[in-house]
Amino acid sequence: MKRRTFLKGAGVALLLPRMESLGQVSEADSPRRLLTIVNHLSFYQPELIPQTNGAFKKAPPLLDELSDHFDHLKIFSGMDNPAVQNGFGHTPCVGILSGYFNKLHRKNRLSIDQAVADLVGGGTRFKSLVFQAGENLNFSQIAWDKHGLPVKQIDSPRKIFNLLFQVNENEKTQQQVLAEDRSILDAVLAQAKSMEKRLNATDRAKMNEYLTSVREVEQTVKRRAYWADRSKPQVDYELKDFDRKSVDDYVGTLLDLAVLALETDSTRAVTVQIPFWEGFKEPELSGNYHDLSHHGQKPEKIKKLLMLEHAILKRINTSLSTMKKRTVGNSSLFDQTTTLLTASMGSANSHNFDDLPALVLDGRMKTAGHWQKKDVPMSNLYLGLLQLFGAERDRFGESTGAVEVLS
Amino acid sequence: MMRLPWTMLLVGFLLPGPLSAEPKLDQFFAQNCVKCHGPEKQNGEVRLDKPIGALFADEELMETIASVLEAGEMPPEEAPQPKAEAVAEIMQLLQKQLLAQRPVNPLKRLTRAEYTNTMRDLFGVNFDFIGLLPPDHVEHGFDKFGEAQLMSPHQLMAYLKTARFVAERLLPDVKPETRKWEFDARHFHGSKNFATGGGGDYRDGDDYVLTGFRPYRSNLHFSIDPESHNQFVVPAFGVYRLEVKAHSEKSDEGEIIGINLGDGRHPTSFRTIRRIPMPHGSKGFTTELTLNAGDQLAFTFDSARVPGRSLVKKPHKGPSMRFSHMKLTGPLTEQWPTAAMKAMLPKPNMKPTELVDHIALLLTQRLLAAEDRKAFVEIARSQEKSGASMTAIARSVLIALLTSPHFIYKAESPELTSVERAHRLSYFLWNSAPDAGLLNAAKSGALAKDPSAQVERMLKDARSGRFINDFTRQWLQLDKVDDFGPDVRVFKNVRRMTVDSMGREGRELFRHMLEKGLSMEHFIDSDFVMANDRLARFYGLPAVEGDAFVPVKLPNKSERGGLVAQAGFLKLTSTDFATSPIHRGSWILKNLYNERIEPPADVLINEPDIRGATTVREAILKHQQLESCSRCHSKIDPLGFALEYYDPVGRKRREYRHVEEFPVEREGTTFTKKLKFTKVPIDAAMKLPGGREVRDLPTLKAALMADKERILKGIIGKLISYAHGREVTRADRPHVDAVFESIAQKDFSLRAAIHAIVAHPAFGQK
Repeated sequence: MKRRTFLKGAGVALLLPRMESLGQVSEADSPRRLLTIVNHLSFYQPELIPQTNGAFKKAPPLLDELSDHFDHLKIFSGMDNPAVQNGFGHTPCVGILSGYFNKLHRKNRLSIDQAVADLVGGGTRFKSLVFQAGENLNFSQIAWDKHGLPVKQIDSPRKIFNLLFQVNENEKTQQQVLAEDRSILDAVLAQAKSMEKRLNATDRAKMNEYLTSVREVEQTVKRRAYWADRSKPQVDYELKDFDRKSVDDYVGTLLDLAVLALETDSTRAVTVQIPFWEGFKEPELSGNYHDLSHHGQKPEKIKKLLMLEHAILKRINTSLSTMKKRTVGNSSLFDQTTTLLTASMGSANSHNFDDLPALVLDGRMKTAGHWQKKDVPMSNLYLGLLQLFGAERDRFGESTGAVEVLS
Repeated sequence: MMRLPWTMLLVGFLLPGPLSAEPKLDQFFAQNCVKCHGPEKQNGEVRLDKPIGALFADEELMETIASVLEAGEMPPEEAPQPKAEAVAEIMQLLQKQLLAQRPVNPLKRLTRAEYTNTMRDLFGVNFDFIGLLPPDHVEHGFDKFGEAQLMSPHQLMAYLKTARFVAERLLPDVKPETRKWEFDARHFHGSKNFATGGGGDYRDGDDYVLTGFRPYRSNLHFSIDPESHNQFVVPAFGVYRLEVKAHSEKSDEGEIIGINLGDGRHPTSFRTIRRIPMPHGSKGFTTELTLNAGDQLAFTFDSARVPGRSLVKKPHKGPSMRFSHMKLTGPLTEQWPTAAMKAMLPKPNMKPTELVDHIALLLTQRLLAAEDRKAFVEIARSQEKSGASMTAIARSVLIALLTSPHFIYKAESPELTSVERAHRLSYFLWNSAPDAGLLNAAKSGALAKDPSAQVERMLKDARSGRFINDFTRQWLQLDKVDDFGPDVRVFKNVRRMTVDSMGREGRELFRHMLEKGLSMEHFIDSDFVMANDRLARFYGLPAVEGDAFVPVKLPNKSERGGLVAQAGFLKLTSTDFATSPIHRGSWILKNLYNERIEPPADVLINEPDIRGATTVREAILKHQQLESCSRCHSKIDPLGFALEYYDPVGRKRREYRHVEEFPVEREGTTFTKKLKFTKVPIDAAMKLPGGREVRDLPTLKAALMADKERILKGIIGKLISYAHGREVTRADRPHVDAVFESIAQKDFSLRAAIHAIVAHPAFGQK
């Protein structure tokens, strides 16, 4: 198989400074970061989940793709999102990181990646970066802010790359525009508040969403104004135009960009979704990824599906290894990063949103191995992760306790 | 699993209950329902052993109870049945209570389509906000539902950016210079070297020839000079005139050219913006487009064949399109200052307050409340102080107002004011802001008294086409017709433009019926279909010339006619390989009967195991045996199965063709997938809940016709919910019934239905 050169050359030429004027205390050389990877179509669990609990003895073939990192890997199986129901096609996948799905309203609850971003993202250029699962795939909205509102997700590698590294030609006028934006936001906020008084209860709730949004945008504009004058990081990375071909091309590029975003300290929370609707093209493979995942237990379909799943995990393994090689400050990027890999479905074939696998990779992992957590809410794991990031809270979403992540 | 919404039930205790009705309802539920919906069993996660007040607080539950009682679906057949009089009495009590609860209609914001049309009608500029404003979601019903519209930081940022985009283009500082470009064969470039079974694109003397259509690829783009491959890029925003010399060859019918934006070599940015029908013998076309700076133009030959995957070069035999010349002129400015500039700055020197009031009124036909105005005036003042030009001040004010709730929300009072009524009507029939004529009629009170003159005027106006497009697209899901396949290896003769025509048929039927005032019964069955050249050929009807749809009388034997016989519907409810009776049946229930059906919350769908030899029918019929599934599936399945004689692209078939796929074999350079087809007989006959058997399309249509009143009321309900921007509930029954009664005397005319919907007092309420 043809391999793309990963992160050509030395990589990063300039690390972004922190935005200390906002009153953030810099943790010197050991910032914590979160990389979240979600594969909506899940993995074929009979070949992913070890038969026994505890340390890895003989890892099943899919899991074995990550064997370079077994020392730092914990895999949980059989977890559940009790407030995400089956039915409604793929839409419940919007609740994977929040543990909640509500079919009537597009509002959700805080998702784990954003909860962490709230803790660690104050000083970076972007509070978080979230990639969409392919272009125009609206039901792949999985990042939700503390108000339960959707966080903007970016849908093409080119857009992500430009956002991170391209220098805006209109930088001079940029400050002027941002200043005007701020006075406009003031004006519309005042009007909304005054209009709110004249509305009934239902409409007031709608207007409240507007007010919340204005306040959030004000923060974003402030952040942009701060970064507008500062140089963008320069990376020696060539973004190839590819034609949605292989897992290597597509998933590989997304993961490369995720690693670059963390490495340049552009953000400390990146969420990647494995694209699944457009499909991958591999030389020896016919059939669409989504279609193969609904395999109806046909052996020939499962075989093809496994080919793709192996390729995906292989590519994730490569990125994790790269993170070990990259040094930021005094330690490797891997050491600074907690990686969460999970799926919104237990099996795309049965279309169930429970029996979920979750893999956590962390350089500080004390005990590695497999733990079956039958019907334990994912929110328990999320709470455990949040506590790792220093959150002082004892509940997250539907949590009933906290999963011990490291010990 | 979702938990029962206990909080909602608790709220119920606090609400004033329907006191007099309580004992009777209580008794009825206890006698007939609680056995399966009570402490012992909670079928469908429903419990009815609760105080009546608590039950009434759950509007959705009450709707369901009333529906199943009315339709006689509950108690189930095998259980003891209550007396008909008892049910009737309970129904009356329920209906009375439901009527008293007016459904909430949350504040609505402009959809992307409404925003776009409003800008166009106010300022005469045809903006395209794709890429700027996020698309609107249609979760269920229509994107106009306030309940489903969410505001988020992302959405708000998009409004702010869009406002700036609009203001900079409507109020420029200098007049844009109009330029001309000419392109001939030397500037044309196509994708010559893609793998194709039919030749590819090539230069031939003074022409450039396109032979195939390959999504995102086979296209014609223009370089800036003959030697260069650098693509031509539109320099500035504005209206451009395109004059193109092109003609088709080896074709005996009309062909279609697509105009696209973006660099066709990179599929991620490629987007069709206009289709140009080229009638047989046409020598070219002239059209005007609004383009953005940075846009790149390209042409595709949309009606051409999609080339096969073979790598072997074969001479091209089918139709081809020859391009010889293109002239581009723009940006065109018909006057300076432009109409939009004059509208926004009618006088040279306007005071900040005056300017804010003027633009606010212009945008929404409503004055800003005095206390809302200050902040906007402040923006104008500080700009004025810093010495900004009048145009620059107006720009800032426009950006602020376009981002404000004053513009993006359509506020409505409990009893609509005259201006609000005009807004509701114009966003219903024009998908845009009201014009002066409508506003005057509203303000004089004429609109509230008798809206018929305005409705008639609006329906005759070309802007009503937006209502037809927007409503039918969402009601009939016409934009989903081409979501799946068809797999070209299985459906060899189904061409892309035929599928495209299928997606237009439902809309054209609606348009024809509305224009001619035809009976809404034609939605169920009719003796004609709307067809263009390709669709008429697909249906095997007498030939039609050209791409435009015309009514075609059906031969006596034909089963076509009516929405359920349309290929578009039959295709959109199928996957690329197989039909889905459940999808078809539930589509009919949802979209014709306007029923709410959803997968039950308490059922885990078993892991499909299709290795066995079970037929689709056997697998699906299992649903009907499970109690929690049977309530809906006993209705859904017969409707869907009756259509099994129509394949995934809507053609008649006598038996199923099961397709088996074998691994890829390499034969030289050609990839061929081996497919094996097996024939399996169709068994479509099934009984509807009332006992009536349906076994094919004609018997299905007869059954639907027997339900005419329910279906027409269902469609009227769809129209009302589109107009009001919320779900129609039983509380809307008087409105729906009144419309039905009124059109019953007018041969069920669709046009009369629109009139009756607007004339009803409920149209004037939030």
